[in-house]
Amino acid sequence: MQTKRWRRTLVASMLAMALVASACGDDGETDTTTTDTTTDGTDGGSEPATAPGFDGETIRLGVITPTTGPVAVIGNPLTAGNQVRVDAINAAGGIAGKYPIELAVEDSAYDAPTAVQKYTSLKEDVVLFAQLLGTPIVSALLGELETDNIVAQPASLDSFWVREDNLIPVGGPYQIQAVNAMDWWVNQEGNADSVICFAGQDDPYGEAGFEGMEYAAEQMGFEIAADVRFAATDTAAEAHAPNVQRLAGAGCEFVFLTGTPSNSGALLGASAGGGFTPTWVGQSPTWVNALAESPLAPYLAAYYHVMTDGAEWGDASIPGMAQMLDDIAAHRPDQTPDIYFVFGYAAMMAVEQVLEEAVALGDLGRDGIANAMSSIETMEFGDLFSDYGWGPAADRVPPRVSRVFGIDPEAPEAGYFTPLTEPFASDVATAYEF
Amino acid sequence: MTKLLQLTIDGTALGVGYALVALGFVVIYRATGVINFSQGGFVLLGAYLTYNFHVTWGLNFWVSVALAVVIGALVGVLIEALILRRMVGQPVFAVIILTIGLLFVMEQSVSSIWGFDNLNMSDPWGIGTSRLGDFLFGHKQVAAMVVSALMLTAFFAYFKYSVMGVSMRAVALDQEAALAQGISARKVFAVSWAIAGAVAAMAGMLQGAGPASVELGISFVALRAFPAMILGGLDSPGGAVVGGIVIGVVQNFTAGYQPEIAPWLGNNFHLVMPYVVMVIILMVKPYGLFGTPEVHRA
Amino acid sequence: MRTRGAAPDLVTDYAQDLRLVPNGWTAAGLLLLAAIFVTGPNLFSGFWVVVLGYAGVATIGAVGLNLLTGFTGQVSLGHAFFLGIGAYAAVQFGMNWGLPLFLWLPLCGVMGAIAGAVIGPFALRLRGQYLVIVTLGLVFLGEHVFKEWRSLTGGGTGTAVRPPLTLGPLDFSGMELFGTAYNRQQMLFWLIWAVAAIGILGAKNIVRTRPGRAMQAVRDRDLAAEVIGISLTRYKVGAFAISSAYGAVAGALYGALQGFVSPTEWNLFLAIQYVAMIIIGGMGTVFGAVLGALMLTALPRLIEDVSRRVDMPFVSGDKGGPEGFVTIFSVQRAMFGALIVGFLLFEPRGLAAIWLRFKAYLKTWPFSY
Repeated sequence: MQTKRWRRTLVASMLAMALVASACGDDGETDTTTTDTTTDGTDGGSEPATAPGFDGETIRLGVITPTTGPVAVIGNPLTAGNQVRVDAINAAGGIAGKYPIELAVEDSAYDAPTAVQKYTSLKEDVVLFAQLLGTPIVSALLGELETDNIVAQPASLDSFWVREDNLIPVGGPYQIQAVNAMDWWVNQEGNADSVICFAGQDDPYGEAGFEGMEYAAEQMGFEIAADVRFAATDTAAEAHAPNVQRLAGAGCEFVFLTGTPSNSGALLGASAGGGFTPTWVGQSPTWVNALAESPLAPYLAAYYHVMTDGAEWGDASIPGMAQMLDDIAAHRPDQTPDIYFVFGYAAMMAVEQVLEEAVALGDLGRDGIANAMSSIETMEFGDLFSDYGWGPAADRVPPRVSRVFGIDPEAPEAGYFTPLTEPFASDVATAYEF
Repeated sequence: MTKLLQLTIDGTALGVGYALVALGFVVIYRATGVINFSQGGFVLLGAYLTYNFHVTWGLNFWVSVALAVVIGALVGVLIEALILRRMVGQPVFAVIILTIGLLFVMEQSVSSIWGFDNLNMSDPWGIGTSRLGDFLFGHKQVAAMVVSALMLTAFFAYFKYSVMGVSMRAVALDQEAALAQGISARKVFAVSWAIAGAVAAMAGMLQGAGPASVELGISFVALRAFPAMILGGLDSPGGAVVGGIVIGVVQNFTAGYQPEIAPWLGNNFHLVMPYVVMVIILMVKPYGLFGTPEVHRA
Repeated sequence: MRTRGAAPDLVTDYAQDLRLVPNGWTAAGLLLLAAIFVTGPNLFSGFWVVVLGYAGVATIGAVGLNLLTGFTGQVSLGHAFFLGIGAYAAVQFGMNWGLPLFLWLPLCGVMGAIAGAVIGPFALRLRGQYLVIVTLGLVFLGEHVFKEWRSLTGGGTGTAVRPPLTLGPLDFSGMELFGTAYNRQQMLFWLIWAVAAIGILGAKNIVRTRPGRAMQAVRDRDLAAEVIGISLTRYKVGAFAISSAYGAVAGALYGALQGFVSPTEWNLFLAIQYVAMIIIGGMGTVFGAVLGALMLTALPRLIEDVSRRVDMPFVSGDKGGPEGFVTIFSVQRAMFGALIVGFLLFEPRGLAAIWLRFKAYLKTWPFSY
């Protein structure tokens, strides 16, 4: 009967529409069933063939970074650093003057499972990942990167990354920062008998800092009196009251801190409130400018130090810094001094070198990038960061240089940092084996 | 001994924060039989509104606090009138989930307006401390205890002596009889939500005081107030206060002693200890220390 | 018996009422779904295959939770804990002990059932809101245990989940079939939805037979149910056990799909998501659980996908770049909250009820009033 036929067509068309709606993210592309993504066309010097993330004209790079959450204070300026370098490259036409770069930014909220999901959704559309922020996130994705033969720049300074073929690490690793910090405290400042303690995040990043401490302890002959770990999400001062109790209870006179700005700030706040005043040295990611603008500033000025690699902001005698300042003036004039911006900028310089090499070799596919990686001899940053001896992962020579900075709340134009030492590479750090 | 007393003092300061939030829960539960998960959102509002009035708009600190509390109360009344009223007759479970949904919306509204960074409330206490003999008192802690004590006293006085307070108790006892006496249940619900919003906002302000402490994680204090509420009994305001302080002290004791006595329990066990206590209490006294047992008929 | 050509919606006996496939329409629908299942990875883009994989996992979990909450009336905010148990059981049995797929997956279910049976007795003593809060406590305790049990879970670091995925001639971590290579996510799409189909079938069967009726009696009036001889212990604890088994299997497959899990994943928000799924889908119907799971998994991803291609006003991080004061994450969460509120206010019986109403409208058209 007619009504029956009507019903049938109606319901069938509804089901069909539901189908279409659920697949509407498809864009008509249904060809992603193969995993074979390399292309030929590697006559050195000819135009690279299309590849995942490269359509012949634009190079698409993935960025997985916390744009929300407590670690966004690192993620956002770092990505800005990436972006300014990209803008400068594109202003000159792009990689090799021909291929502009486009960044696809996804929020990881510093959560490894979220990052894994974003990675899965991005990986087919990018040449490589220009930024994966966070030691735990890079740890989580390392297996996937190897399986998928994709290269990534880890915005993290763990020493593990040095020997990974799929990673483009830059800068002196956390372990080196820790070792150099201990060299400063024990050897240079002569405090071999003080009570030395460690406080760090309960994840691979904290482990990295602790590893450096342990190595230094072994080599320099001191003991770590207390080892306190906290969750990355402990961003309220109350959460750290027990930690301060333990550190103070152990009589710590020196504490090495491996945290991120929110939890570090909270721990320092709890210490200030509890009258606990050791000498603090923190890894570079513990810092954020807002700390120097908070009520904690006097405490920080008196007791806090930061270890970092890298040139002083504004020091135009350093070619890399001069270039960066020019690019900032051209593309992001209201950028305030920020160590994470510097890192992001330098990281993009490294990615740029990989891409240039890949285009020179004529292949922007997965294998092409891998070849480019092994062909580069040194990663150079114009002294913005120390040079990195490159090549296949087994041969890489990371920089061993760090510098101790104190906090000067009256110096916003220097990012509130005041150098207490020249950049140095301690003997112990130089002997560190990766 | 010093350590024990210091832990107790710190624990009490922590506990009064829980007590305030737990009180808010209990007031709503007594009146409407609902556990309001969105208290966390009110806590957030209290902290961020105080920040906004005091830091962004430059008003006097105490005026900002008062304004934040008033707005917290108003938001409570609004939510009750617009949303909860429609849920009358729905299963209790559905209402709980509804309040959870509200919590998410509130959290996202706060983060959209004020962003994700930790903000400074510029409160008058900062990180100041005073020593009294061997004991260290954080100014913020003392302020928290004083403010909470004042607020709680005010609440109990209101509850016991004012007309509305008596009406609230009547409605909690037997809604129909109260209605028969001419008490407006609607007004009672509105006032309950207003009080809950107000105390939560105050608790939020106290949580947010301190360096860079105005942040989204503050709403989790509401989750830790659950054990306080259960311990005291879901429908006992006095129980909420006792429960809050007990949980605060227990948490602090655990934090202080567990790493030495029972390190196998792991890091940060003091954060789950309140829940352990809660589960134990529920097994022994299912209605809490001061709660009224429910009677079930088939 | 059903006579062809007669109005297929008149039911004349119990057996017919309980049929899984009551009429031609349902049969056609199921065939269509089967067709989508078989051609899925070819039909959908890589992104959507993964999303549907997660949706399948959510379906398994939601169906299980529905058995507990929708059918037996035991409200539980603790489902995340059982998912976690499943994932770590997969790590232990699959990765560490190397058991084959057909052994470790059911074993994960068994572990879940055991855990559920341990928690079940709480439901005997507590009811209503107190039970909700105790299960809440369970999630926190579970998180703590997972974080501290470093050898199994990797602690704060998390752990890779790579158990063996071969079943006879099928290798679910990636293989070639009929000339096309399929990667892990695509193969797992099939595995997950196959398991989901089995789970749904199982749930439907439980529900339409004696245990199902007993569970519903417990939900409606448990004292009266006890009086007429339904053993509360058996059904309450049993419901916990079964729903936890479903949850554990879901967690195990989730781990296999994602390849990596961290103890912070099994948190309160995950538990709330599952509860939201069954509420939005419609408590008390298996179909509702499936709908809710699909919707709540696909919707955030849909928002993400749209945001990548469209510059939405006020939203930062979308195609238009970082201007805007609302992040995509905020939009997702706020929408989640708004959905919950909206459904509870306006359609408390969920999507399933909407679907039923729609069907009824069509059936009685043009007399739909």
